[in-house]
Amino acid sequence: MLFLKDKRSKLDLAEHTVIIPSICVGNAAQLACDLLIASKQLRRIGSLTHPALIPVYGPSAYQHEPNEKVSSCELYEGSQDKLMVVQFRAPWVARHTASFQSELVELLKGARRVVILSGSFGFEKRVIEESPWAYRASDNFKEAHAAQLGNQELIKWKEHKGEAIYGGGNALQLFKSFDEQQVPVMLLFRYLLEGDNSTDASLIVRELNELCEDFLQLRNGGDGSFKLTVPKSWNLLFGNDVTELLF
Amino acid sequence: MSCPGFGELNIPSSRAFWDDCEEDEFENLKPVEKLKLKFDGESSGEEAPLESDLLLVIEGVHVTHFGTSALAKDSKLVCGIPAKSSSLHWSPSTKQLLAVLEEDLTSSGEITELLLPYAKLAKKVITLTLKPKVEFKSENIQFYRDHIAIVRGVGVNQKDVTELEAPNFIAGVAAGVATWRDQEELPVSSFVVYTDKLPLDSTAAQPVIKLLQSLGVSCSSGYIPLRKENSYLYM
Repeated sequence: MLFLKDKRSKLDLAEHTVIIPSICVGNAAQLACDLLIASKQLRRIGSLTHPALIPVYGPSAYQHEPNEKVSSCELYEGSQDKLMVVQFRAPWVARHTASFQSELVELLKGARRVVILSGSFGFEKRVIEESPWAYRASDNFKEAHAAQLGNQELIKWKEHKGEAIYGGGNALQLFKSFDEQQVPVMLLFRYLLEGDNSTDASLIVRELNELCEDFLQLRNGGDGSFKLTVPKSWNLLFGNDVTELLF
Repeated sequence: MSCPGFGELNIPSSRAFWDDCEEDEFENLKPVEKLKLKFDGESSGEEAPLESDLLLVIEGVHVTHFGTSALAKDSKLVCGIPAKSSSLHWSPSTKQLLAVLEEDLTSSGEITELLLPYAKLAKKVITLTLKPKVEFKSENIQFYRDHIAIVRGVGVNQKDVTELEAPNFIAGVAAGVATWRDQEELPVSSFVVYTDKLPLDSTAAQPVIKLLQSLGVSCSSGYIPLRKENSYLYM
C-alpha cells in the first residue's frame, strides 16, 4: 500500500534518479541511504506498507524532520535534484518478498534511472589487490553513462558477472526485475564485513558521488570534499553502555 | 540456522530476511495462504468490522493472560487473530474494542492488514507495546537501573508520559496500526512499556494498569498472573 503526502495520487519519477538500498551485510546500504537523506535534508514524501515488511513506528530518525514518524519503508525526495531515496528499516518476510518486489518495481519503473546499493561478504572477494567495489549495470544504463563507466581513471570498479552476491540480500533479484522492465539500472556494492559499518556507508556515498556528481548533487566545499550529516538514529549504534555492575 | 558447534563461527547467510531464509531460495518459495480472522461458526472470516469509540491494541510476549483477565473482563470474544493465541474482544457497554496480540513479527504485516478495517472505523486508537527493559536504549541507562517499568509515548500529548527517543522504536501489529492511523491523519496514541518482568506479574502490571487508567481505558485495578502448576526447582 502506497501512502503519499500532500494528496498526491501517484509518483512522478520521469526525471528522477531512484536510490534503493538492499538489506545487506552490515546494513551498509541502508546506512548509506541514511547519510544521503540526512546530508541532503531530503523531504519525506510517503511510505509503503506490505505484508513483507514488518511494521515499525517511532520517533523521527532525522534531525531535519523532527515531526515525522519512522516506518518500515520510507520514500524521500529532493525535488530540486530530482532524486528519490527509498529507505527500509526492517528486514523482509521471505514468503512475501516476491510479491513486494514486483510491486516495488511496478511503482518505480517510470524512473529515469535506478541505483541499487548493496554489500557483499568481504571474504567473498577472491583477489585481494582488486578494488573493493563491484557493479552491474543494464545495457541501457551503460549506454547512458558510457563516459563515466568507461573512464578507468575515475572508476576502478570491477564488473560483476556472477549469479549471486553473497550477503547482498535481494539486490541481484531486484536488479534483474528492473532490467526486465527496461529501466536503466545499476547495482553498486562493496565487499565488507559485519561490524561498525558507518565508514562503509560514507564510502558508498562518496564512491557513488565520484561516478557522476549529478546523481547525488552533493555540493562540495570547493576542494572536492563534502560534509555528511550523521542522523540522530545512529546514536547508540551498538546498544547501551556496559553496566558498571559487570565490573 | 543451526546451533554452532564449539568454536565454530556461524555467520548468518543473510540479513535480508526475518524468517531465516537463504538468499538463493526465496525466489522459489511458494505463495502462502492468506491469513484470516478466526470467527466462530460458519462465517467465512469476513464479518463486518465493528464501529468502536476506542480500539486498544496491546501487544507483547505472553500478553494473552494479562489482556484477557485484566482488560477484557466484561467483553465478548469477537474473533481469534491468527498469531499464536491473539484475539479481538468487544465491550458493548463501553464500545471498546480490544486486540490482544502475542508478539509474532513474521505475520505482523499481514495481521495489521486484517485489523485495518477496525482501525479505520474506530474513533480513537491506542496502541500499547510491552517490551523487555533490556531493549530500551538510552545514553543515561544507569538512571533506569532500578525502574520496574519505563513508560514512553510516540506522538502523545500527555504530561506524565515522556516521548520515546530515537533510536528506540516499536515493531509489530501495534506499530502497523499506529503507522496507518498516523499516515491517514487519524488520531492515534502509541505507548511502549519497557518492563523488567515479562510475562507481567502483579507488580510489573501496576505501571501498565496505571497508564491504561489514565487513558480512560476500563480495566481491573490489579492483576493476578496465572499460577504456575509446578517448578523445575522445588515442590
